This record gives sequence, structure tokens and C-alpha cells, in this order.
Amino acid sequence: GCVLAEGLLTTTYTDEEHLREVSYSQSTGQKEQLSRSLQRGIRRVQDLCKVLQLPAVFEETAVSYFQRALQHPSFHLVSLEKKELLGGCCVFVTCRQHNWPLTMGTICSLLYAKQELFASVFLSLQKELELCVPALSLADLVKTHLNSFQLFQHSADVPARFVEDREKMVARTMQMVELASETWLVTGRHPIPIVTAAAYLSWQSLQPAARLTCTLAQFCKVAGVDLPPPARLRLKELLEILLRMASQLAWLRVLHVDKKTVVKHIGDLLQHRIFLLKNAFCLEEEAQQCATVPGERSQGSSPVAGGAAQEESRPSEEKRRREGSPRPLLPPCLINPRKRLRTAALSASDCAITGDEPISDSEIEQYLRGPEEIRAFRKAK
Amino acid sequence: MDADSDVALDILITNVVCVFRTRCHLNLRKIALEGANVIYKRDVGKVLMKLRKPRITATIWSSGKVICTGATSEEEAKFGARRLARSLQKLGFQVIFTDFKVVNVLAVCNMPFEIRLPEFTKKNRPHASYEPELHPAVCYRMKTLRATLQIFSTGSITVTG
Repeated sequence: GCVLAEGLLTTTYTDEEHLREVSYSQSTGQKEQLSRSLQRGIRRVQDLCKVLQLPAVFEETAVSYFQRALQHPSFHLVSLEKKELLGGCCVFVTCRQHNWPLTMGTICSLLYAKQELFASVFLSLQKELELCVPALSLADLVKTHLNSFQLFQHSADVPARFVEDREKMVARTMQMVELASETWLVTGRHPIPIVTAAAYLSWQSLQPAARLTCTLAQFCKVAGVDLPPPARLRLKELLEILLRMASQLAWLRVLHVDKKTVVKHIGDLLQHRIFLLKNAFCLEEEAQQCATVPGERSQGSSPVAGGAAQEESRPSEEKRRREGSPRPLLPPCLINPRKRLRTAALSASDCAITGDEPISDSEIEQYLRGPEEIRAFRKAK
Repeated sequence: MDADSDVALDILITNVVCVFRTRCHLNLRKIALEGANVIYKRDVGKVLMKLRKPRITATIWSSGKVICTGATSEEEAKFGARRLARSLQKLGFQVIFTDFKVVNVLAVCNMPFEIRLPEFTKKNRPHASYEPELHPAVCYRMKTLRATLQIFSTGSITVTG
């Protein structure tokens, strides 16, 4: 420190000769002070960006979104758990805006968060900050997801016959996913199971002799990835599509092709994909001539009429399957609809309700307990 | 489907939500004890009461606010709400049926064609939002009508608002 003479201390700007007046808030950095939760949140966002190896510009954008979000009244009083998820959501939104393929599952696993809670915070953030979040690019997702597979280098866990060339596998998986997208297997579904199933079939098809005996679960174990539960169903649907396409390929008609052996011919099927899809499936304008699909096409129609239509179309659908003729190219839930309880159509008396009808006492008595019942209930309690 | 074709669509109302107030305090314990078809949720401070005709479920708070769900038309919702108010009157409360308002209507309809959701979303931003990891349908918000549509790839559409 130093000792100053009293006369040297100044209090007003006019007394200053060489220096400018500095306000207290500027000298102590009061305005620049951030709250502890904001500092912690920013650090968390930065750590997430480092773990995901994102470029620096992503980090700046994610931090700015986080600061904006915490200033919004909707996020002032949320729990600490939600504030942590908010940071993850900002990183997720930033990645999507820059077409960086990142799934919610990855972020949730990094944050040890439940997907439902993450989803609610993400939707709130999108709504309150009016952020435009582009759709996830399937092609980029395929490349990123396959990068996590440990199949491209020989190791103790990966036998030599299972090792595959990365570029070949990515190219074929991309083609399989495009085929799935064209045949309604991707729309409305979680993308990762379909990518896993497509990767499995592509991997098998590149060296079928050595890999046909490997199941989907074993494949995921060797590749070091989780097996998402819907992947088995996606695999089954993909194989159905491939078998249908194979039935239209001239040199395969003489062979008995089943869901095991069709894998050997995936290369040919993908090469002639457009032609085979056109022959194997009815196009939309021909769908009405091919069949009426048993399913809820109109909920307003009466159940009896709907049931009769279903019964008529079922035998014809089975006949068409036997004959191998084209079936309509429709989402699987329309081809194999689940049984649903039909809501009864409004009767004439229901339509006549105005809301102001008189209510008789006898109608109300059924909703009230009698004195004996009340006594018995009290005694039981 | 041509733009000029005149195809009739069946729009089915599946749920109508309404609220009303009783203008008096309600003893939930008494309702649970003396009412039939009643579930008392003590932890959240409300009572659920189910009516058979019309088939509605009412959520009753001690403040006198009541929410009715399950009706399939606005008239049915009002009828059910009045029946509930009368039931509460019979239990001995000084109920006055006021501030009745329909707050939400849920309807479904089916398009006669399938919809490719990613392409639909691309062409209808920013109104449409599609997150296949969360929900299999596109969420389409119409701010002017204050309605939200859930559009499925099968052509089924759910309208709420």
C-alpha cells in the first residue's frame, strides 16, 4: 500500500486533472457479476460441448441460449434438475441448428436424465424462446451412429471375420435406410432402431458366408452398441420388404429365398431398388384397385359396415398374399392394424341433447349412498 | 387427392372438457363418504366423481371449481355438469351452477391418404414440428384458431383446442 496526503484525494470530476471518474459498479465489476446458478450452468454447457467435441462456435451459441433461457420467467423458479437439463437442451438445439447429428438419447445418457423430463424441458425451451429447430438429418445420423460401432478394427472382442470396411458399411446402410424410408418404415418411428437393423443387414450382406449365423443381439454385442427393443421388429419389417422385392427379381424366382438367404442378395436388390419396389408394391393410385386395406379408414362410418368391409377384404388380402401379387405400399400399422375398441356412433337420442333438460331426482339417487351404506362404510373404515 | 375434389370427411368429437363453479366451499371428505362412484385423492386435494349417463368424469376441488371431461358434445358436457351440480346439491351443499365454460374440444378425423411426415414438416415450418424421438406425429399449431393438430403418417388427425 501507500500513504496519500489528504489534499491529493479528489471527489469530483472537476478536481481530476489526468484521470477520469470511475463509478463504483464499474470498478468492482458489479454489473458483470453472474449468479452462481448461471455460472454453474454455463460451465456445464461448456463441459458438455467439450465431451461431445463440438466446435467453439457451438459452445458460444449454446451458452447464449442458456443465458437467454434463464432470464425468461418460465425458467426462473424451475428445479436444479430442470436447470441442468436446460443446459443439455441448449446444446441439443445448437447441434440440430448446425445439422450436427445428435440424438436425445445421447444427451439424456450424458446427463443421466429421464427422456420424458428432457422432452418437456426441450419443448418448453423451443416454445418460450421461439427457436427454430430443423429436423434431424437421417443420412448424418447413420454416419454418426455407425462411427460408434466397433467393427472396423480387429481386436480381442471382434474376430477377423466380423471386421468390415467402414466406407462400404456406411454406403450400404445408407441405401438400406433409404429403402426403409421409401417403404414407410421410418416415418413416425424412432430412427435409431431402424438404423441398427439396417446396419445389421448391411453388415451380414457384405460377407454372408461368415456372418449369417450371427444374430442381431450378438451383432450389437460385438459392435459394442445397445440393442434398442424396437430393432427386432424393424428387422422383421425390413426382411418382409426385401423378400417381396426378391420375388420380383428374375434370377431369384427359381431359388427358394427366405429371410435367411435373402441377405445374400441384398446387393442386387438395392441396385435395382426402384424397379423392384414398383413391381412388388402397388403405387398409391393403384392401391384402390389392389385392395381395400383392413383398417380404420373412416372412424365416422358405422361399425357394422366397417366390419363387413373388413371381412370382405380379409379373404381377398390372403388370396393376394398367396398369389404373390403386389400389395399396397402402406405404413405397417395400416397393413396389420391393432384391434381398437370402436366408439359407438351417436344415437338419435344423444343427438337431441340440448344440455338444459330437466333432471329428475331418481337419476341423481344412483350417485348417492344410502344411510345404511354410509354407516357400513364408516364402520369398515 | 385433388384440390378441387369434394370429399366428405367424418370428424368425430371424442372429448369435451368444461369447467363450472359452485360458488360455495365443498367438503371433499363428505363427498367421498356419501357419494357413490367417487375416488378421493387426499394427497392432491381433489375428488373424482364418475357419472354413467352421460359418461363423464368430474374433478372436484374444495374451492368449488369442477372440471368435467369425457363428454362427446358441448350439450352433453353441459348436461353432465348440471347433473353433477344437482348431485352435490343433494349431498347438502348450497350449490349455484355458474361460470360454465367449454375449455377444450378434442376431435379426430381420417384423411383418405397417407402423409410423409418429414416432407410435410419441411414444407410447413414454422407451424409444424416433428420429433420422431418423442412422438410419432407432427404437431401443427394454428395460432389464429388456438388449435393444435397431431398429424399421423396414417392420415389420422387429432385436433385439440
